[in-house]
Amino acid sequence: MSRERKIRVLIAKPGLDGHSRGAKVVAYGLRDAGFEVIYTGLHQSPLQIVNTAIQEDVDVIGLSILSGAHLNLTRRVIQGLKEKGVEDKMLVIGGTIPEADMPKLKGMGVAEVFTSGTSIKEISIFIKDKVKNRGSASFEGKGETNEQS
Amino acid sequence: MSNHDKAITEAKKEWEQRYVAPALKRFKLTENPTRFYSPLDLPDFDFLERVGFPGQYPFTAGTYPFLPYQAGQKGAGFIPQSPELVRAGRYSGYGAAEDYRDYQKYMQTLGAKTGPNVAFDLPTQLGYDSDSPMAEGEVGRVGVAVSSLRDFEVIYEAFTGEMEIDRIASNFTINAPASIIIAMYVALAEKRGIPTERLRATPQNDILKEFVGRGAYIFPPKPSMRIMQDSIVFITKHLPNLNITSIGGYHMREAGATREQDLAFSMAIGAAYLQEGVNAGLDIDSFAPRFTVNVFGGSMEFYKEIAFQRAARRMWARMLRERFGAKNPRSMLLRQPHAAHIGCSATTLQRPLNNLVRTVVGGMASAMSGGPPEVWPPYDEPLGLGWSLEAIQLTEDAQRILQHEAKICEVIDPFAGSYFMESLTDQIEETCRMEFEKIQDMGGAVEAIEKGYMQQEVAKSAYERQKRIESGEDLVVGINCFTGEHELEVTTNRLVPHPYDPERMELAESKQIASLKEVKRTRDNRIVTRFLKELRETAESGTENLMPRFIECVKAYVTIQEMCDVLREVFGRYEETNI
Repeated sequence: MSRERKIRVLIAKPGLDGHSRGAKVVAYGLRDAGFEVIYTGLHQSPLQIVNTAIQEDVDVIGLSILSGAHLNLTRRVIQGLKEKGVEDKMLVIGGTIPEADMPKLKGMGVAEVFTSGTSIKEISIFIKDKVKNRGSASFEGKGETNEQS
Repeated sequence: MSNHDKAITEAKKEWEQRYVAPALKRFKLTENPTRFYSPLDLPDFDFLERVGFPGQYPFTAGTYPFLPYQAGQKGAGFIPQSPELVRAGRYSGYGAAEDYRDYQKYMQTLGAKTGPNVAFDLPTQLGYDSDSPMAEGEVGRVGVAVSSLRDFEVIYEAFTGEMEIDRIASNFTINAPASIIIAMYVALAEKRGIPTERLRATPQNDILKEFVGRGAYIFPPKPSMRIMQDSIVFITKHLPNLNITSIGGYHMREAGATREQDLAFSMAIGAAYLQEGVNAGLDIDSFAPRFTVNVFGGSMEFYKEIAFQRAARRMWARMLRERFGAKNPRSMLLRQPHAAHIGCSATTLQRPLNNLVRTVVGGMASAMSGGPPEVWPPYDEPLGLGWSLEAIQLTEDAQRILQHEAKICEVIDPFAGSYFMESLTDQIEETCRMEFEKIQDMGGAVEAIEKGYMQQEVAKSAYERQKRIESGEDLVVGINCFTGEHELEVTTNRLVPHPYDPERMELAESKQIASLKEVKRTRDNRIVTRFLKELRETAESGTENLMPRFIECVKAYVTIQEMCDVLREVFGRYEETNI
């Protein structure tokens, strides 16, 4: 078994929304599933998130937004990623997202939107598949055997 | 053991052998899947010591002898109705100040007679003005934007004459800058020539729980408590009809806290605020009666949530009497607008109509635990905030049906004396008391939060719950069970437009930025500079009360962010502990 780099995921709380339950649960869950997880803490500006993503060299950014400001905040994060030339990082969104906004988010370049009721298993499988196919990080380390259902 | 208990013990043994055992065998079970309670589960039960009559110490049966809606023919709306009771209305707020003013006026044409229960937008709650880069995209979203007294005055244009501010009550759901909003209410009253002692309002003003759930904090816990103490002292001395705080365990529960954590942490937080008042030299009975509780609890577990409410009232009463030496029974009342309920985290996005069933269960639990038959939240809330008027009407009708058709409010605390309910109440109180003591050993709620203890415990509990859902140990209908290709996805439509106008919401940010610019252009900026300097000096002094400074500032149209920026410089900001 090769000892390759774990997939690195940034779980971020953009904007002023303080509801962090979902973000923390996903962070714990992905960590237990073998990912390297970095959690930003609350009240992060889009620029702070982009900078953290670059510094931490993450493969995936998960934004958690429950305040209704998801379109604006996501647009700004994507803009920041493009400006810094790191738009290859995969972006996923979690939170209270009305169905009508999902195509809009995907149109901006969001890989997937996970609303309430999603299991961590689903999220972890989605990320692994996508990252593997992109080839930006391989995932054959201890993560897969550690995965909890 | 008395002869009677001996007889019951014998009977129980016989029941287990002759009735339970054969049933277990027949259904191939190893243990009884249910429980039955008998006097053996409640030895030495002293009714007066443990329960008492409603409105009497230790208030297990209820805070009051009865609630006014219980007498009313048309009671059980969203808020307990009575001509004698002045209360704020339904939690609401969106857009720019003008938008919310117009919303209030519109609701008044539909018959609303209550004051505003103001939801503030996140920038306001976090001490940022509408024109701050931090506010971009969030102005007027989850509540109304208030950057200066000007916005506050515009909102209250909807409240004059019959609805003048000394004839209504207002609620302000805001914490970190709560004192600034209280200062605005005082300034508004002074401008309208209304004696401030006639103001009735309930600010949430419960900063400590923000660190554990909800997350709308600005300053670190210790300076936050200094601001809290100043508000306790000022309100006690100058605003006798204002409630000081509306403590909420519910937000921590929504963040993942277990039932026991919710209650123990809330009690510890309440104790910390009370202690601030005592430390400031106030007599406990002079200010404790102005403490209220927003809500505790929030789960689908019907019996346990009822026992929780009973235990909460008793713990609070005992804490006030035994720990703080209160003598006035009013100090010991756990005053809250409703009792048990289910909480948003018990609702599901999938098959949203199921939530109506869930909330009716919550309404029954509320009525049976000393509150109104509060059916909440609207079943479609997981789809988005303030989703449909239809769902709001359903919650209100469900309450009316519970009261008038099911007659659920005819008896207060119907489980009083139940072997089961009394032993469960004792058990919850005991578990919470131990956790409460653990926090006291750490130095109290402030220290427990500074160490990150409460935050980490709650996050862990949230994760444990998620794992139980994913493993199927906890079942949620339509989420991890009873799902499949043959199940219908029952969905819902919005047929009636919501009174929050989406176009106005989109325009709120630019509107607010323009009006704020005008405020800064027309005010006397020399006075602003002077008052901000004085605010800084007072904050640095550590001894002078901040409230008079806030009042002075808001009257000069100093903005929330200008004040909070000064305080951020003096007090610092809170950074979340690692998870």
